[in-house]
Amino acid sequence: MVTTIARKEMTEMVRDGRFRWTAGIVLALLAGAVLMGWQNYREVSAQHETAQRVTREHWLGQGTKNPHSAAHYGVYAFKPKLPLSLVDQGVDPWVGVSAWLEAHKQNEFKYRPAQDATALQRFGELTGATVLQVLIPLLIVLLTFSAFSGEREQGTLRQVLSVGARKSDLAAGKALGIGGALGTLLIPAIMLGVLALSLASDNGALFASVPRMALMALTYLLYFGALTAVALGVSAFVRSSRLALVTLLGFWIFNSLIAPRAVADIAKAAYPTPSAFDFSKRLDAALQEGADTRNRQLREGLLKKYNVDRVEALPVSFSGVSLQAGEEHGNEVFDRFYSGLWNTFHQQEQVHLYSSVAAPLLAVRSLSMGLAGTDFAQHAHFATAAEEYRRAIQRELNSEITANAAKVTGAYVRGRDLWERIPEFSYEAPGTQWVLARQWPALMLLTLWTALAVLFASVATRTLRTE
Amino acid sequence: MLGQIIRHDWRSLSADRTLWAIAAIMLVAIGYGVYNGAAWTKFQRDALIQVNEEEKERFATLRRGILDAEAGRLKPGTADPRSADTIGRRSGLRYAVLPPGPLAALGIGQSDLYPYYFKVSTASKDTFLNNDEIENPVHLLSGRFDAAFVILYLYPLVILALSYNLISGEKEAGTLSLTLSQPVALGQLVLGKVLLRFALVVCLAVGLALAGASLGGVDLANGGSIGRLALWSAVVAAYGVFWFALAVAVNAYGGSSTTNAMALSGAWLAVVLVVPSVLNVAAKVTHPIPSRVELINAMRTASRDATAEGSTLLARYLEDHPDLVATSEGEIANASATSFAVQDEVERRMEPVMDQFNQQLVAQQAVLDRYRYLSPAVLAQSALYDIAGTGSARYKHFLQLTDGFYGAWKAWFTPRVIQRTPIGSTELAFIPSFRFEEESLSDIAGRGATALFGLVCSTVLVVLVALIALRRYSIAG
Repeated sequence: MVTTIARKEMTEMVRDGRFRWTAGIVLALLAGAVLMGWQNYREVSAQHETAQRVTREHWLGQGTKNPHSAAHYGVYAFKPKLPLSLVDQGVDPWVGVSAWLEAHKQNEFKYRPAQDATALQRFGELTGATVLQVLIPLLIVLLTFSAFSGEREQGTLRQVLSVGARKSDLAAGKALGIGGALGTLLIPAIMLGVLALSLASDNGALFASVPRMALMALTYLLYFGALTAVALGVSAFVRSSRLALVTLLGFWIFNSLIAPRAVADIAKAAYPTPSAFDFSKRLDAALQEGADTRNRQLREGLLKKYNVDRVEALPVSFSGVSLQAGEEHGNEVFDRFYSGLWNTFHQQEQVHLYSSVAAPLLAVRSLSMGLAGTDFAQHAHFATAAEEYRRAIQRELNSEITANAAKVTGAYVRGRDLWERIPEFSYEAPGTQWVLARQWPALMLLTLWTALAVLFASVATRTLRTE
Repeated sequence: MLGQIIRHDWRSLSADRTLWAIAAIMLVAIGYGVYNGAAWTKFQRDALIQVNEEEKERFATLRRGILDAEAGRLKPGTADPRSADTIGRRSGLRYAVLPPGPLAALGIGQSDLYPYYFKVSTASKDTFLNNDEIENPVHLLSGRFDAAFVILYLYPLVILALSYNLISGEKEAGTLSLTLSQPVALGQLVLGKVLLRFALVVCLAVGLALAGASLGGVDLANGGSIGRLALWSAVVAAYGVFWFALAVAVNAYGGSSTTNAMALSGAWLAVVLVVPSVLNVAAKVTHPIPSRVELINAMRTASRDATAEGSTLLARYLEDHPDLVATSEGEIANASATSFAVQDEVERRMEPVMDQFNQQLVAQQAVLDRYRYLSPAVLAQSALYDIAGTGSARYKHFLQLTDGFYGAWKAWFTPRVIQRTPIGSTELAFIPSFRFEEESLSDIAGRGATALFGLVCSTVLVVLVALIALRRYSIAG
């Protein structure tokens, strides 16, 4: 029975000119978005590879100089992209692409791609994620709003029920029919996406993306399922098709347009971030605080340890020791400030997450970005790795100064052999488990949403009135 | 007759709960939007106050140091605070400041993405131009809930909610043929109904926004603000007229209210979501911005090569700037002069690369300017941001002023640094300082008028379609 209903619904929809048009447009947009994402991914990956090589060449070929000058010269870290970012760009356009790793300082990531774009991007970027999160839900609303109310208005509902179709079968059949119609749209798109992914990445990377892809597919299935159930429920529950359409459009607008913005402002008001000026002013003060005392204690400690009476008599270079001590104090300060700031970001994102109780898009967006590797947590993960690398460079160079600079008279300079001892920067993106450990609340909320939506749909169809 | 139609329509409209619900929604949405805009403006103002204080304090310290040095009280072993190099590089820096847009409370626009103050020094520009404000990138991605958002997205929906069944509703209720059996033409009836709704919605939107703006800290005493508010209101009204015209045109085809609602929501989706994002993609594909990643490395290569040629560059630099040598030969600070020479050379080598960036950015903007007529939402957005002073034009203007200031800064410091002329306490006041000059109102009015013209053109097109269809409208249907 269910399959008969489903087949009838699907045939009806697919034969409907309006569906064909809308689906055609959505499919074209989705395909365009995936192609754009693919091209962008390939370009950025190639640039990233070259840039990483060039910055290494710069580092190795910097000539003969004092190791601390080399530390000031520094290297650049460039943020890589994961293949799945071709589906969801996430926050990537809104965070910097590169950080300069130099002595004494944890620099911010610079050059946000969005700054190099027109105000058009404020309407939203055309990405796979936009189509999946915003446009397909609208398609679901348009396909579903008259599912029950329309039949009731045409008088066919009474007929169908009189031939012995159960209400629950009818609901399940309709849901399946809508799913089938969406499938005719989504399956080609998914195939295109997988093709793009396999072209974008080597075999290994494609294989590694499989768990993320599967979870992403699950996320969107749950989301579409929840929306279909809500739409069916509303269609069964309200008096007229018109009211069903207005209600569902209202929900769609709230979910996809109003909630993300309103919540951003609420989160900002609840957990304000400092101004960059204030942040760096306090950071500089904390870096400077007690510098003289620390240096004096360091000096006295060393003199006592080696039992000498002046710095020049030390077997180690005092400037090396003091540079490294400065780095370590700096590291402490940077950790305190940045973890504080990122914690505020995290708290803001918690506000987004809890708000997904009203607007499931927020949970879906968070999951989708997380799985694509384009959320802020993964940006911070990369920033942390780059900072660790910076600290390793400083440690190596400073220990070299400490050990050897005191032995030479005049300027202490080193060459390529020392620069080569600094390993190349390599970054490994976090695995699926790492992402899930952060995203499980969003997944739970989404699942709960879907369950409640299905419950609502079944209650609404059970109490379905034929008049 | 028109008056009678309006009066009658007002009676039936005001008896319906929809109108009051819509008024309440607009009140809350615009109120919240202006509140957010005002909060952001205040945040920027507060940051700029801190910036200003920091500069003042730093200059006070510098002055004390210089006075001490002039009185011969310089502590042994400390650097001379009068050094032009130190002052121009560190201790005497001044800020170039972009104050929040005159109507920023009505539209945050691009202002949460662009830096709004630079600490200008004699070092190369890239050291101070990337002064980004701290913001959760998820918020930048979401966009902000400001009055411009309400006008661009929600206000058309309010208009459509009030007019999607402008004719079809009367037809379905059976009142259309009754009304038209009176001596009244269909066109007249439609005009009356539209006029009433237009007056209600536009007055509400503009009135709420203006009230919010005056509460939200827009300086009404400033002549420029009044002009901008007038332009802003005109754009809002013109954008509204477009949506009313569209609703009438769709109604004129004689479909049912449900069909109309679907067609109009499709049109809304196309205008505010699909066309802008497709346009965005088109601009990016036809004029891709070169990679910033490559820029970073190119800059490094240029600076490495220029540094290697330091002594040659210095000789050439001094040949090009004979005045620097002539005044006090032998006194030249070689290291500083070399660094200026290298900096100039890096700038010269990077010029073609930078030009490429700017050309592509300009080309993208040109695509947007040319094709924004395809979507009234894009037209309205660029006009609203521009008028509020939070669009890219005002930011570019600020960058230009900063560029000029940087030039003046270097011109003032270069000879003093190279000739090692100390800067005395009396000279401190003559260090160049930045003054932001607002764009002239006529420039903004010119751009606003272009956008208004575009909106009027799209409206006229839609009205023509509506008139043709209305002529064939079958009342009995």
